[in-house]
Amino acid sequence: MLLALAWKNIWRNKKRSLIILTAIALGLWAGLFSVAISMGVWEATVNATIDRNLSHIQIHTKEFKEEKLISNYIPDGNSILDQIRKDGRIKEVSGRVLIEGMASSPTSSGGVNIVGVNPDRESIVTTISNYIKEGTFFETNKRNPIVVGQKLADKLGLKLGSKIVLTFQNVDTTLTYAAFRIVGIFKTESSIFDQLHLFVNKSDLYPIMESKPIISEIAIRLNSSEELDSVYSTITQKHSSLMAETWKQLAPELEFTYEMLILELEIFLGIILAALLFGITNTMLMSVMDRVREFGVLMAVGMKRIRVFFLILIETFVLSIFGGIIGMGLGAITVWYLSDKGIDLSIFAEGLNAWGMPTQMYPMLPIYFYFVLVIMIIVTAIIAAIYPSIKTIKLRPAEAIRTY
Amino acid sequence: MALIEVKQVSKIYNDNSIPVAALNEVTLNIEKEEFTAIVGPSGSGKTTLLNMIGGLDQPTTGTIIINDTDISTYRTDEMINFRLQNIGFVFQAYNLIPVFTARENVEFIMLLQKISKEEREHRAIELLKAVDLEDKIHKKPTELSGGQQQRVAVARALASKPSFVLADEPTANLDSVTANNLLDLMEKLNEENKMTFVFSTHDSRVIERAHRVVTLRDGRIDSDIKQNELVAEQK
Ligand SMILES: Nc1ncnc2c1ncn2[C@@H]1O[C@H](COP(=O)(O)OP(=O)(O)O)[C@@H](O)[C@H]1O
Ligand SMILES: [Mg+2]
Repeated sequence: MLLALAWKNIWRNKKRSLIILTAIALGLWAGLFSVAISMGVWEATVNATIDRNLSHIQIHTKEFKEEKLISNYIPDGNSILDQIRKDGRIKEVSGRVLIEGMASSPTSSGGVNIVGVNPDRESIVTTISNYIKEGTFFETNKRNPIVVGQKLADKLGLKLGSKIVLTFQNVDTTLTYAAFRIVGIFKTESSIFDQLHLFVNKSDLYPIMESKPIISEIAIRLNSSEELDSVYSTITQKHSSLMAETWKQLAPELEFTYEMLILELEIFLGIILAALLFGITNTMLMSVMDRVREFGVLMAVGMKRIRVFFLILIETFVLSIFGGIIGMGLGAITVWYLSDKGIDLSIFAEGLNAWGMPTQMYPMLPIYFYFVLVIMIIVTAIIAAIYPSIKTIKLRPAEAIRTY
Repeated sequence: MALIEVKQVSKIYNDNSIPVAALNEVTLNIEKEEFTAIVGPSGSGKTTLLNMIGGLDQPTTGTIIINDTDISTYRTDEMINFRLQNIGFVFQAYNLIPVFTARENVEFIMLLQKISKEEREHRAIELLKAVDLEDKIHKKPTELSGGQQQRVAVARALASKPSFVLADEPTANLDSVTANNLLDLMEKLNEENKMTFVFSTHDSRVIERAHRVVTLRDGRIDSDIKQNELVAEQK
């Protein structure tokens, strides 16, 4: 009956209740939508990083993780590669040779990470081939072709077609060097990446190193990022002597920015709810003030203050939760609809492309965000109810009822 | 032993800079089954006295004893519970919860007493019959006339099976015919159910209906006349 009373009381002043309900619903809807957009942008950025060079899962030897020497290559790397490629959840696998070395031009030199790849496979595993600004990604018959980043080319004063000399250690730790010709220049959104990485055909490296076809890194691209954990566990079980890592482990800064983003978004929602808190408190306060006499009578005839307190609490609760459900419902529907269709950002396409961002944006919201929000709404409702409730239970019936 | 004992009760309001003595050393005993009117001009202290007896306010000095218990010893929530179990209230206006029907209003007080649903319903309907509102059971206060609302309030006051009913100017907002009907009802409940009524009024036609008339003037008891004396006076 207390519940029924609370419900009826809410609808006593329909206009007032509807206004605050709308405010709550709109506030939450807008909040959820903004959060979903931020998450969508973040996901697009992560995807861009994964696409560019990271891939979903990488495998190395444990020794290589400690010291990036070519001698720490993956034993039997190519047969492992073929074995992994058979897994249906995997789109493509790239075997890479990673060597730390020195790149020199006639005028300058600098430390680089030489990445030896199979160009055909690499362009499926990562999208580095899409970042080519000049030339091509190894579509050439030139001898010893090399693809470098814009930043490195600028630093060394090199152009398309220029010669570049790479110096690096062999498997037997002797130093060797060879000349390559620039056939492509790429530019990603990360200038550090552009300065430090250059790509060569790994089949060109083996003769220079006088080595059999070894690989030091296996990069795996999945069909769906949702299978990350299951594929990861399969690989760690099968190849326990090797070290497999997901992109989260490989790029902890992405995980860190994710956590920061979540924190920011929670604060953002917190601010929205704090604003709503004032609105709800104000509404309840007005409602309580309108009913001073009634509460006076109720307390006079024997309604305990705790019950009055609960009545206000329930009214506030029902109002907040009701508004919350509408707002979250609207938000969820909007996000769900747009996460499928995406938001077309092609009007801003030029600007976005320069940043290496896709022109289609897909808002998204992890389920747990809704739980966080529900808890936040409940807390808000409780806080909003406190002041009006205290006002009410401090009423002295004799004064509340007095009709002079 | 009297049901209600008011012993040398004074109430001084200090809200403004000048203290107002609303009650001044009032001593009064009310017995079970009495039908007492507290009368006096506006501002004479009727409401203040009823509030003291009902435990809605505390005397500045003096004691109120109900059923042998000094009610000043109760803490706030104990007092609320005491009121719930022992006192029925009828106020001048705004008695009822506007969103509830007549029956729900009567039931609500029994809900507070944790009486079972069946008994609540049964007793609410009985009481609304007793106050002649069988056909208004499902009406909300706004759909009832002033007199009907006061009848519901009387029904509610009785629903908790109190030791007595306090009614502060229950007829103040009613025309004289309706006021008379309400008094008929209260008198009937007094006679048939042996319910004790203490009500205040400054309406002479209502005063006539009382079995005992306590007159207040400037916070003091001016006169206290019982029925046999009233009858004697009229002769
Ligand atoms: N809360 C209060 N504060 C100050 N003065 C009050 C208060 N309540 C009543 N009074 C004063 O006490 C006197 C008695 O008032 P009241 O008991 O309401 O009289 P009645 O009910 O007979 O009209 C009046 O002078 C009134 O102004
Ligand atoms: Mg009065």
